[in-house]
Amino acid sequence: MNKFAISFRRIAAVLFCTAAMGLVGCAQVKLAEPVASADNIQKAKAGGIGPVSVGEFKLAEGKDRSLDLKVSIRSNTFFSPYDSSLSKYLAESLKADLSAAGVLEPGASRSIRGELTQSTVDAPMGRGTASLAARFIVEDQGRKTYDKELSTKADWESSFVGAIAIPDAINQYVALYKKLVGELLDDPNFRKAVAR
Amino acid sequence: MSHSFLENLRRVSHVMCVAAAVVLTGCASHYVDGATREINASEYRKPATPKPVQVAFEFQTKGVANAQATKVLQPKVIEKVKASGLFSSVEEKPVQGGALLSVKLNNVPLTDDIFQKGFVTGLTFGLAGSQASDGYICTVSYLGEGQSSPIVKTARHAIHTTMGATAQPGNARKAASIEEAVFSMVSQIMSNALNDLSKDPAFAANNN
Repeated sequence: MNKFAISFRRIAAVLFCTAAMGLVGCAQVKLAEPVASADNIQKAKAGGIGPVSVGEFKLAEGKDRSLDLKVSIRSNTFFSPYDSSLSKYLAESLKADLSAAGVLEPGASRSIRGELTQSTVDAPMGRGTASLAARFIVEDQGRKTYDKELSTKADWESSFVGAIAIPDAINQYVALYKKLVGELLDDPNFRKAVAR
Repeated sequence: MSHSFLENLRRVSHVMCVAAAVVLTGCASHYVDGATREINASEYRKPATPKPVQVAFEFQTKGVANAQATKVLQPKVIEKVKASGLFSSVEEKPVQGGALLSVKLNNVPLTDDIFQKGFVTGLTFGLAGSQASDGYICTVSYLGEGQSSPIVKTARHAIHTTMGATAQPGNARKAASIEEAVFSMVSQIMSNALNDLSKDPAFAANNN
């Protein structure tokens, strides 16, 4: 009977821990691959952008490596499907929009490269906040024609319930990639640098 | 270790398992609202000369892009546009003439405190039933060749979810699963928006 009691206690403990893990989370989640945004397609078309390629996107010098690796929301970790690099995720977001607008051309003489300078998301009870910033550089046959850091941010009502707060926060954070690309496409100096 | 203690532990464990099952699986039923019905593609006003179109789809949750849901629903949306017969070809890349059809499907909660309601239902093992409703607003925006401003049409729909002992929502059809409910909703809401688009004189004029 004593043996049965110990086994039962172990099973109960394992079940309890499993349930607790399931409810609390601690998950490692890969971000969904970016898809083209209709707003950015229209911006790229309206902006008269000519053929352009997308070069290297990396973490800005002097920044902590963890900035590029992941974001954490209430003990859940989110990482990029592209070599676990959020700067590469930004590059892929840009590529998706430029490709859908018909202006992405890998062999083009003009190339956009970038450096991730900021990536944050916080979803406490109350107000959630997220921010994203990057330096974009356009080079035309090796000559720098555009160099600017752009940033964007979001804030929203964040639920006390993790099951609601976490998906809301990651949606808000991922949407910033499209917003940041939109900021770039809206910038008159960028449009001038990549004009048809 | 007494027998009564073990018996109590077993009871507590059973209660916890049942409670967890109710909370986790939800014992939820999903109903597709009956106010927005499927409009057959044969009822659309077909253009005289259908033209190719590029489709860009975005699913939103409370107005914010939801990349994961976009990925899941994109094939259904493209399939629906292809089946409409309003365009000669439907692509995700730029097309000749540059026509662009933007489809945005925004999920807006119609019921407050959904989690609280579900939690109470779980704690009472379904005796205190609850209902939550999700609204969907579909906005299609068509920018044809040579047009400076897009033709915009919207349609609305809803999915109701009940948990525990509660009555079936009126004017709604029970779906076999949440996937079936969502796919039906997408098909019906898209059919309404596309029907409205097809009957807009500006759309006809652009495809003549």
